[in-house]
Amino acid sequence: MANLNNRARDEHTYDAIVVGSGISGGWAAKELTERGLKTLVLDRGRMVRHVEDYTTAGMDPWDAKYPRAQLPPAELDARYKVQQRTGYALTEFSQHFFVRDDQEPYTETKRFDWIRGYHVGGRSLMWARQSYRHSDLDFEANAKQGVGVDWPIRYADIAPWYDHVERFAGISGQAEGLPQLPDGVFQPPMEMNCAEKAFKKSVEAVFPERRITIGRAAHLTKPTEEQIALGRGPCQYRNLCIRGCPFGAYFSSNSATLVAAERTGNFTIRPNSIVTSLIYDEKAGKASGVHVLDSETGEDMEFYAPIIFLCASALNTAWIMLNSASKRFPNGLGNGSDQLGRNVMDHHLGVGAGALVPGFEDMYYSGRRPNGIYVPRFRNLGDAGTARKDYMRGFGYQGGAGRVGWDRAGYGMDPPPGAAGKTAMSQPGPWLFRLGGFGEILPYADNRVTLNHEVKDQHGLPTLTFDVSIRENENAMRKDMISAAAEMLEAAGFKNITEYNGDYGPGLGIHEMGTARMGRDPKTSVLNAHNQVWECKNVFVTDGAAMTSASCVNPSLTYMALTARAAAFAVEAGKKGDL
Amino acid sequence: MGAHPMLSRRGAFRLTAGALLAGWTLPTIAGAAEAVATWTPRALNADQARTLSAAADAMLPVTDTPGALAAGVPQFVDRTLADWSRPDDAARIKAALDAIDAAAQAASGKAFAALEPAERTALLARLDAEARRAKGPDGFRQLKDLVSTGYFTSQIGATQALRYDPVPGAYHGCVPVKEIGRAWATS
Repeated sequence: MANLNNRARDEHTYDAIVVGSGISGGWAAKELTERGLKTLVLDRGRMVRHVEDYTTAGMDPWDAKYPRAQLPPAELDARYKVQQRTGYALTEFSQHFFVRDDQEPYTETKRFDWIRGYHVGGRSLMWARQSYRHSDLDFEANAKQGVGVDWPIRYADIAPWYDHVERFAGISGQAEGLPQLPDGVFQPPMEMNCAEKAFKKSVEAVFPERRITIGRAAHLTKPTEEQIALGRGPCQYRNLCIRGCPFGAYFSSNSATLVAAERTGNFTIRPNSIVTSLIYDEKAGKASGVHVLDSETGEDMEFYAPIIFLCASALNTAWIMLNSASKRFPNGLGNGSDQLGRNVMDHHLGVGAGALVPGFEDMYYSGRRPNGIYVPRFRNLGDAGTARKDYMRGFGYQGGAGRVGWDRAGYGMDPPPGAAGKTAMSQPGPWLFRLGGFGEILPYADNRVTLNHEVKDQHGLPTLTFDVSIRENENAMRKDMISAAAEMLEAAGFKNITEYNGDYGPGLGIHEMGTARMGRDPKTSVLNAHNQVWECKNVFVTDGAAMTSASCVNPSLTYMALTARAAAFAVEAGKKGDL
Repeated sequence: MGAHPMLSRRGAFRLTAGALLAGWTLPTIAGAAEAVATWTPRALNADQARTLSAAADAMLPVTDTPGALAAGVPQFVDRTLADWSRPDDAARIKAALDAIDAAAQAASGKAFAALEPAERTALLARLDAEARRAKGPDGFRQLKDLVSTGYFTSQIGATQALRYDPVPGAYHGCVPVKEIGRAWATS
């Protein structure tokens, strides 16, 4: 029996375990396997194979069962109470990549929009692919302003890792030489359209501190040998990314990191494996493995490894750690600081302005660019000229121009019924320009998630309760996000400028961060400068949970860089016997 | 860039657009205007289905490209009301169809479907102008939107009334409209 048990244990033992296979987990898998570690990747959801499981990728508009491929309102209400709040992402063609809220419940003390994808590849399949670097303006802000805790790293620590991940992932973009938005390793930028080029010219002439650039996006525009060898090709400009890209043109775990990991021969992936907690070995003073619930068989299992990477997404990583109470850690693994589950951040959005663009009636574009323009942060850059008295930090804008197509009723632009109207709708309509802000949210200790043992999910597991809100600083910033957008549209000579002050529930940015923050002191943070749990050194957290502050830029690229950096560190530390 | 497949495709657009311009003023084909329901409605009664077919045909008639009937728009609207719409929206749209017929009866003592094409268009134009002034959800506007959606997302609408390119292969930011000819079917 003992032999049999030993063998069973051996079969469940790896050099490393990675929990989650999204942006961060994919990177952990790649970096650990490439460094020779036999790595087990556990994902709570179903398998999604690159290309073959993108079941809707080739569908045409007329393949939709419902108008505009929108799900019936009754189905949205019954199954997707929260997921539908994005207003755009969830359609007949993408619904298989979103969780059903009726099966994966949580409790909103205040509204929180938790948009999730539980499957192999996670949200790397549905992300918006915008990829920007943090700068020292971000890394130094907390310390300078006495907010939260200081990041334990600076730009110089992470810059080589940004290079590393950009080279592999493939980021198209334009170098701009801005200190607040460092340039990276870019593939050729996508083109702006006529109205965007005109906007750039006018705005940069009137506002020297503002720059209009094309979005930096994780799409291949000139694939490298390495990317081609992985089976990836250049963007085909279909703009159907959210269905999964059969060309492997945008970066996802499924198209890139998991493929690379698999090719090492060191990679094992186990879908339908919900990690419910970490196994803490009191004697050794570290984690020995993870408890897994097989969602198909209902079986409880254990897997073991000397190195564990938690990449389950900010809130689920916090959930696993909170649910890993032990004698040593009565309030959750590594939670001596009581910071676990706190400081929930996102990017606040839903505010900005739009306008009609006069002119360019005879100009159009061809191809569907899966990307827009970007206006890098231009407030509070450290000089008197950009300083704001009413709020700290800043925001960027994403947006762009396009011509209205046949679908005009929403703008009140639909022509009268009849032949002339039909002909009019068959021609490109007016040019519209939109700018939407993405603002930084400060870390607030009482913006938190807690374990809820009363409300259970479909597997009988405890769930999360959210108590998160934006505050005075964010609300003051939102006002400026609206007026600064309108003044740029005005400077460009655009007409019918409409400010919009939309609905925002925390989470709607789909950039959850901060629940196990990095820091310099185990008393006030969960992770050290290498994303290592202070109190349990063989556990690493490299997803959004690690973020000490939010910056205003889309965070995925930073998760990639932090993950690659931490994986390299973990392998070296393991070799030295430091874990 | 100068990708050659793109250039040749653009050339094709130019030719097609030119050829199509010639047929732009074709009158509505009388056969289509008969609009006898050859399908079994699921959400609508027979009168509503007949009104819907005639209204869809008048809203998006045959021009240089096929109209709403060829694209199966009435069936699309009926299916949407049966399988998709909230009950209150479906009721409002059905009421709008009844109102179209009632307006025809009031004006000329005939069913809407029995009006001449020009009369139908004139009546719908009047209802359209009234509906634009409505506050809150309006059945006529919802109906009109469904008719447009059904048409322009159908294969006929997307590939003939509009330009559809499933795999563009490249993005060009500034292209003369005349090289493309029509609005893109998808964005």
